[in-house]
Amino acid sequence: MKESRIGVVSFEHMHALSYTQQLLKYPEVVLVGIADEDEKRGKEMAAKFQTTYYRSYEALLDEQLDGVIICTNNRDHAKVSIAAAKKGLHILVEKPFATTIADAKAMLAAAREAGVQIMNAFPMRFNPNVIAAKKKIDAGLIGEVLTITSINHGKIPGLWFIDPSLSGGGAVMDHTVHLGDLIRWFTGSEIKSVFCESGELLHHKGIDDTGLVMIELDNGVFATIDCSWAHHTNYPIWAQVDMQIIGTKGVIELKAFAQVLHLDDQTNQCFEDISWNEEGDEGLIKEFVQVCATGKTPLVTGLDGLRALEIALASYESSRTNEAVSLTQD
Amino acid sequence: MIRIALVGCGTMGETHAHAYTSLEDAKVVAVCDIRSHHAEALASLLGCEAFTSYEEMKKKADYDVLDICLPTYLHSRYAIDAMKSGKHVFCEKPIALTLEDANRMVETAEENKVTFSVGHVLRFFPQYQTAADQIKAGRIGTPALLRTTRNQAFPGWSWENWYQDLEKSGGPEVDLAIHDYDWLLCNFGPVTRVYAKNLGPKHPEQMHTLAILRFASGAMAHVEASWALPKGIEFRTTFELVGTDGQLCYDSTRDCPLKTQLGSDEEVSLFYDNPLSEEMNPYRAELAAFLHAVEHKTEPVVTAAEAIAALHIALAAKESARSGKVVRL
Repeated sequence: MKESRIGVVSFEHMHALSYTQQLLKYPEVVLVGIADEDEKRGKEMAAKFQTTYYRSYEALLDEQLDGVIICTNNRDHAKVSIAAAKKGLHILVEKPFATTIADAKAMLAAAREAGVQIMNAFPMRFNPNVIAAKKKIDAGLIGEVLTITSINHGKIPGLWFIDPSLSGGGAVMDHTVHLGDLIRWFTGSEIKSVFCESGELLHHKGIDDTGLVMIELDNGVFATIDCSWAHHTNYPIWAQVDMQIIGTKGVIELKAFAQVLHLDDQTNQCFEDISWNEEGDEGLIKEFVQVCATGKTPLVTGLDGLRALEIALASYESSRTNEAVSLTQD
Repeated sequence: MIRIALVGCGTMGETHAHAYTSLEDAKVVAVCDIRSHHAEALASLLGCEAFTSYEEMKKKADYDVLDICLPTYLHSRYAIDAMKSGKHVFCEKPIALTLEDANRMVETAEENKVTFSVGHVLRFFPQYQTAADQIKAGRIGTPALLRTTRNQAFPGWSWENWYQDLEKSGGPEVDLAIHDYDWLLCNFGPVTRVYAKNLGPKHPEQMHTLAILRFASGAMAHVEASWALPKGIEFRTTFELVGTDGQLCYDSTRDCPLKTQLGSDEEVSLFYDNPLSEEMNPYRAELAAFLHAVEHKTEPVVTAAEAIAALHIALAAKESARSGKVVRL
């Protein structure tokens, strides 16, 4: 396969670690460099992955590249994506796609004008358990989908994730996009209305940590998303993605992270669930490497990113007004 | 000795009848069902007289309490009639289909100075009682996120399939989710806003409700109740209660002491049992609590006002699903 020259902008979001590890699996990929405003972190990562460190992302984008993976804080996705598009690079940007609709649209426009692909990092689309559920639905096994209940619980993150000026929001921003994307994918339908109750009820960190979202789709399906950072410190596992999909002929219960062993850990006085799950990151990066090599349209696009962001932002609006918000798409 | 007449000898009537057999200070003196074989079966269990006419039972039998296990749309008519003749009334949940009917029942009970309670039995289920005790003891801190589910296949076995008729059963909000509404109100206080969706009449054998409730305390709840699961699937209830200091979970299919799996070439069936001693039987406990209130002229554990509050949430959820709007209480 043709050589793909890929750079990574920032390890501010820790998913960069797993994405970069996945990149190294492909002999045709050249990891050109790592840019990070945090010099200590950037140099450490560049040394770990035996590549060049760049203080500024502009300097990395000036190199000969085919694609770039962007794992900055959420606010900076737009700035770096637009700069990368202008350089003619294919882009994989961490979720959420952006923090405002205007930013998201500017990113899509920049990619369109430059003729490059922009992909949003929704690893759940590449989780084998999620794919198996999607195949069963598409095969008509449960008939016509009627209603979906979904839960994405996790522990509260730290650092910039809980600074709204950098993250764009808390649990609602962080978790609604994953399930919103899967619900759109499973139903093949767009979102018509969004209602949300949210608040800072659990952790006292100055940001929304609890949220319940109800969405209605164009095809009449209704679904709920529980996006809360509901797990306390000792919860045995970080991630939980559960979905119940009720159809006219049956029901699917999906627990995307159920593949675990249960450890009673006497040393640390806790229970821990140890995952033997296959990572969605693997398929995600495989897809991006193919996009960089061929320029093909990715399985999950920037438009999917915008649509998921619309759900999160409408959820915040609904939380403020205590009314359902209608979504009109252009 | 309190003398009881039981009207409605279907599933719930049978459940109550079995509970009465171990209640020492109570005697069922008459049972009534328009289906004579149902009435006779319970009469032989209880050693009492069977009637196929309520009017005739009223004329011939001598009782203090009427226990109503009729379909919901008949609750208010029989409750009000019994109260007017001075009988105490225990009525299966939900109290009624409308707030008007429910209020008339309460007024009639007050006018006639009789004890009136409704079968919100969840409060007497040991797993829900234990959860309530843990919450009161502060084990999860301040409650924040509350999730409950109550899911099953469509109950197609009912008399004249009355569950399917929304005019008679009120649908899954009024018949099913109301259990959880009552339990949530009882333990987490009043609700200020309701937003809900349901499966409409396009799917008459797949009714389903999802509701998001906001409490005056600031806590929020996700209440799911379903008659939309495939036929043959076992009834399942769950709760997940998250507070500032902890999380409390229950799932009847996971936390189950006895699972029985039967197979043949064609199909496999799986049954979940949660065996309890007679003393722990929640239906016996709710009836014992009611009879205690009758005997001592005290307020029943489940008050009529609470039954109305739960109905209010159920009707708000239906209204929200119909209008697409938030309902404020």
